[in-house]
Amino acid sequence: MADVSVGGRRRMSQALLWWLLLLSAFFIAGLVAAVRVLINGLQVTGLGDQVPWGLWITHDLSAIALGAGAFTFSAAVYLFRLERLEPLARPAVFVGFLGYTSAMLALALDIGRPDRFWHPLVYWNVHSVLWEITWCVILYSTVLVLEFVPVLIESRWFDGWTRLRRLSHGMHKLTPFFALFGMALSLLHQSSLGATYGVLSGRAIWFKPSMPIMFILSAVAGGMSLTLLATMITGRLQGRRLVSLDVQREISRFIGYVLLAYLYIKLWDWAATTYYSYNPGIADALARLQVTTPYTLTFWWWEIVLGGVIPAAIMLYPPLRRDSQAVMIGLALIVMAVVVNRWNVTLSGLVVPPEWSPGVLGSVVAVSYFPTGLEVLVSVGILAYALLGFTLGARYLPIYKKRASH
Amino acid sequence: MSEKSEKSKKKEKKSALLNRRDFLKIAGVTGAAVLFTEVITSGPLSAEAVQGIGARLHAGEGATDNEWHMIIDLAKCIGCNYCVWACQAVNDVSDDSMRWNVGFPERTENGQDFYMTRPCLHCAEAPCVRVCPVGATWIRPDGIVDMDYDLCIGCRYCQVACPYDARRFNWREVVDDNRYAPTWGSSEVERRARGVVEKCTFCVHRVDRGLAQGLTPGVDPQATPACVNVCPVGARIFGDAKDPDSPFSRYMKENPTFRLREDFGTEPKVHYVRPDRRV
Repeated sequence: MADVSVGGRRRMSQALLWWLLLLSAFFIAGLVAAVRVLINGLQVTGLGDQVPWGLWITHDLSAIALGAGAFTFSAAVYLFRLERLEPLARPAVFVGFLGYTSAMLALALDIGRPDRFWHPLVYWNVHSVLWEITWCVILYSTVLVLEFVPVLIESRWFDGWTRLRRLSHGMHKLTPFFALFGMALSLLHQSSLGATYGVLSGRAIWFKPSMPIMFILSAVAGGMSLTLLATMITGRLQGRRLVSLDVQREISRFIGYVLLAYLYIKLWDWAATTYYSYNPGIADALARLQVTTPYTLTFWWWEIVLGGVIPAAIMLYPPLRRDSQAVMIGLALIVMAVVVNRWNVTLSGLVVPPEWSPGVLGSVVAVSYFPTGLEVLVSVGILAYALLGFTLGARYLPIYKKRASH
Repeated sequence: MSEKSEKSKKKEKKSALLNRRDFLKIAGVTGAAVLFTEVITSGPLSAEAVQGIGARLHAGEGATDNEWHMIIDLAKCIGCNYCVWACQAVNDVSDDSMRWNVGFPERTENGQDFYMTRPCLHCAEAPCVRVCPVGATWIRPDGIVDMDYDLCIGCRYCQVACPYDARRFNWREVVDDNRYAPTWGSSEVERRARGVVEKCTFCVHRVDRGLAQGLTPGVDPQATPACVNVCPVGARIFGDAKDPDSPFSRYMKENPTFRLREDFGTEPKVHYVRPDRRV
């Protein structure tokens, strides 16, 4: 997508124009579907009382996890002073902003009473992990906006606004504070999202303290992967190098180590709860999953092999790490695996509900859930919003420009 | 020489007086500390406020004179489904898929057929109460797990948390006529709006109104849950666990009971008598 320069302004290439049109069409379709959901209520979804969470919760969890690059890179650059990573701080914050707003869009439609979205802020239940998540996500989204505003003000639309520019420059001094605050909030809610499932004593395959740890580790790996991948793709399309090879390799290696840590915990999680021990609830749920659903298969192949072992090998084996194409494939696999993992975790716990009837007839083998077309369309629309935002941002905002030295 | 003394004077001046920057710093830190203390001691994060929420989560011992429990005698139950229909009529649950009180044929491991019914178990350690982000559901001091439909945001975390499938979500606006009324009773509560969760309340409106009128829930029908009243064989017993003479306490003394999935640690207040007790 080479740009043609005409009179100082870049003209859009044909391909970019089509890409934007396509995304806009999907976005509008999603908007129409969202209106249908708001008018008709959640009966238009494939959800039910036994599987009350589905595609949109997966979308929400994935978007937040994949937005975790924002806090990782912000903390690395502004808190730990790893200045060589600075070119990735802004794109990470931008990806995070798009991720968190996507999550909020999905959530706003998923709750039964969108008009009461503000209730957790006013009516507190400090014992609820979801209450803590709501607060953290709202506060952290504010941090992301504050971190992102200077980028917006630096864009050429604000050329005449010298005062605003000075103000935003002053705000830059607060960046380390934002980074610290953002890191604390992110460490809290990224883990708590796992705890959402991990604290439920009635669902054996969820009920474990490793849940929050696996969620934060996968979010760090996935968030950094998406930021780096988006940057590498943008660089290829714009025909320039946005991140130096050294930095690209350093981040890749770090992601590889995070994946190893994740796989290590996953291994012990599996070994301790199934291989070396016997818990009737877990054994029963896993047996039902294996017989009636594809989740055993998708867990081992998509999450562990394709999303964990292979990308870890790419990121940690130097000859592969030096190959940008291999790295891009590895990053894409990690991003895919985060989404698959969030879907698997949510659905595997719900489709095999615990048996409470004392007899032998009332046992539920597995409940089925399949998202309806309208549900899918809403998700596609939100995805289109994020891609549209990134495409336009990468083109019109100073996200990948080197900042003026101070 | 003079220059030097002037410099030292300036230094002295600086060290003697707080300059503006220092002043602002100190004022800022003090202000933040005061605000923090204020929030901790009297705000919504104060010990009293947090404990208040704790009290709502766990009914303290002796908080009230009553604690409502139910027994379902599976050996007596004949599977007529009257309790299911009476509940639907009285609590205006017109959609069969949203039954608060469910019933279905069951069989023991020994092959004996019985009929299983299950209201909300009103757990003393209710997972649904713990997870609600807005505190729209709570455990009353008398043990009943109650709900405020006006607070509920419809996130359905309580449904995910409840291991007994006792909670129902209003996926649509229910406008259907209630075909169980007036045959099985007439609606005593308001129908719930679309987008909120609902569940069995142990007919809390009857309990409260009955107590206010000096009646005894579990003994006087007006103060007793509809499902208990309607049962033709007396398979459901309701009463106060803190009163040793309540129908509940007496039945508990005479019959061995069990609770559903004790291993969840939910401490349900609905107790079952085994179906093969009096073969």
